[in-house]
Amino acid sequence: MAKTVIQVKDLYKIYRIGENRVKALNGVDFEIERGEFCCIVGTSGSGKSTLLNMLAGLEKPTRGEIVIAGEHMEQKNEGQLVLFRQAHVGFIFQSYNLMQNMTAIENVALPLTFQGVDRKKREKRAIQMLKLVGLGKYALHRPGQMSGGQQQRVGIARALVVNPEIVFADEPTGNLDSNTSMEVLQLMKKIVREKNQTMVMVTHDNYLAGFGDRIIHIRDGKIQQIEDNRLKQKMQEEQNIEDNQNL
Amino acid sequence: MKILDLLRMSADSLLKRKVRTVLTVLGVVIGTTSIVVMISLGIGMKNSMLEEMESYGNLRAIEVSLPGRYSDESGGETEEKYLDDALVQTLSQLEYVESVSAILQTSAIIRAGNYECYANIQGMSIEAMETMGIPLGEGSYPTPGDELKFLYGNCVISDFYNAKTNVYEYWETGTLPDINLYADPVYVIFDVDKYYAAGGTDENGQAILPPKKYMVDSCGMVEGGPDDWNNYCYYVYCDIEALKLQLQRVFKGGVIPGQPIQKSGKPYKEIFYTTIYVNVDDMEHVTQVQNLITDMGYETYAEAEWIESQMQEMNIIQAVLGGIGAVSLFVAAIGITNTMMMSIYERTKEIGIMKVIGCRIRDIQVLFLAEAGYIGLLGGAIGVGLSYALSALVNRIISSSDIGITKISQIPIWLAGASVLFAILIGMLSGLLPSIRAMRLSPLAAIRSE
Repeated sequence: MAKTVIQVKDLYKIYRIGENRVKALNGVDFEIERGEFCCIVGTSGSGKSTLLNMLAGLEKPTRGEIVIAGEHMEQKNEGQLVLFRQAHVGFIFQSYNLMQNMTAIENVALPLTFQGVDRKKREKRAIQMLKLVGLGKYALHRPGQMSGGQQQRVGIARALVVNPEIVFADEPTGNLDSNTSMEVLQLMKKIVREKNQTMVMVTHDNYLAGFGDRIIHIRDGKIQQIEDNRLKQKMQEEQNIEDNQNL
Repeated sequence: MKILDLLRMSADSLLKRKVRTVLTVLGVVIGTTSIVVMISLGIGMKNSMLEEMESYGNLRAIEVSLPGRYSDESGGETEEKYLDDALVQTLSQLEYVESVSAILQTSAIIRAGNYECYANIQGMSIEAMETMGIPLGEGSYPTPGDELKFLYGNCVISDFYNAKTNVYEYWETGTLPDINLYADPVYVIFDVDKYYAAGGTDENGQAILPPKKYMVDSCGMVEGGPDDWNNYCYYVYCDIEALKLQLQRVFKGGVIPGQPIQKSGKPYKEIFYTTIYVNVDDMEHVTQVQNLITDMGYETYAEAEWIESQMQEMNIIQAVLGGIGAVSLFVAAIGITNTMMMSIYERTKEIGIMKVIGCRIRDIQVLFLAEAGYIGLLGGAIGVGLSYALSALVNRIISSSDIGITKISQIPIWLAGASVLFAILIGMLSGLLPSIRAMRLSPLAAIRSE
């Protein structure tokens, strides 16, 4: 049996807006296994982004437990959370969030810079990552000189350069056209699978979510349904092989 | 994060906002310059005052004399105190005392040609002359062991009056007496009382004969003309041992004028000193040593005494000047805080991203502190440079007019260094509040859609 990396128990998040109490998350339980590509899908306002923020330790839950890699996220202070992210987590943003005044290689090396890695060492690793995402020639370009898809690939390289156990992606293709979206998605999936990393992606697009191993559907702060794609995929593959043989 | 990376990153973000950086730095430049120039003026004034004081006399010297020497009331009942060799010995063993020199002062009439002068003769050791630094115009200091020879002050010649007409020619007519003190020997009358009484009769009705004259050679002249005042110009100097011998020979066991007398009316065997000069190693210790000697029951005087109060006044002026400069640096500090605040509002998202991808909270604070520190460093360094230029300009203007102060603005190296450090400190202090704000920003801001 695969090892559980993320464990969420009875999670609540309640916002106070004026006099009203808004339940963004209303009792959520699930587990994610190592090496899994998990998609959290829901409409806007469903609480999917709130869930991701709490998983990454950017927000504190009102109630409930989040255990990632054996550590309780809800018990950490901000300083400890930063150290945890340094060691275990990569983050891919919707709007890329690259440093505009830095070159691609500097952007990718930034998490290593924060960890205090030597300049030579970190640039070597950054260039490897850039090559992996197919941007080896763009190392010295600044974000402004690159297309959206290229920028997001730099973002992916930056998230993966520290070899994180878990990668969080918040609508990574939200700003891209459908062709580029597919490319980026396939790229992420490929790299994560190769390194046996766990990936949690949030999206509102059911089609894109369909590429995940498992799909968690969220609505009004509650899990509506958890779809397991892996069985389906296996059957599909077998079907393909059969088809090929028949041809 | 490595410190070098931190410094590079904050330098980069400063360079990214060139215009704003330049303007903020300009504020610090003006602030630093005004403080440094103001303080340099204070230092210049203080130093020129000190220089002037030093020409009045040795600032490290304490003059020791007998108590009540000028008022006769204290004599009698109190324990008799004299300035003798034993005291010289005691004083030279006090802490901080570098050297002690005794002075025997006496008056005599010096006669050269038709001219006479009532001279003040100071007998002291050659070492004392060297310590005092009596500047020589001609000749040399007296030689120890030699017979009595005079070293004349440069103004002594103006004190000669024509013995026939009783006119001080130099003061009346402006012409110097036609004598050469350095080249020609003079006649000296030590027994002045007898000289004036000569021609009359004593209490026994016997006629008083004029006292004997002694011929004395000169060994040198103090530097300067008859109008150039200095601390030594009106005295006649000689070797103290030679003077003692001479006086003993002249008065032959009788009472030497100026010397104390025993209760029996007879003179002491020893010749006592008039004053003792105590040289202290540093101006700072003068008061301490002075108090010690005063407690021993002697009268003391030190030039440093009133210089101290003058110095305090100068310090107040300097503080006021510095304070005026500090106001503009304070304004500049507010400018830094403002700039940093603006920059943090602009970079909310950037700071958030940095936190999400693993930048430590402390590193974020250091980044912003370093940025503010850079502004201080740049402003401070340029400000000090500008101060040197301004100070040179002021000095040039002052020296071309004739106020008599050569360098009114002086920037010692410590002031330059301290100013730059101070500017960095001010920069970082101004950046403290913004940096704490940056530290506390939520990483969530990074992922909020624009």
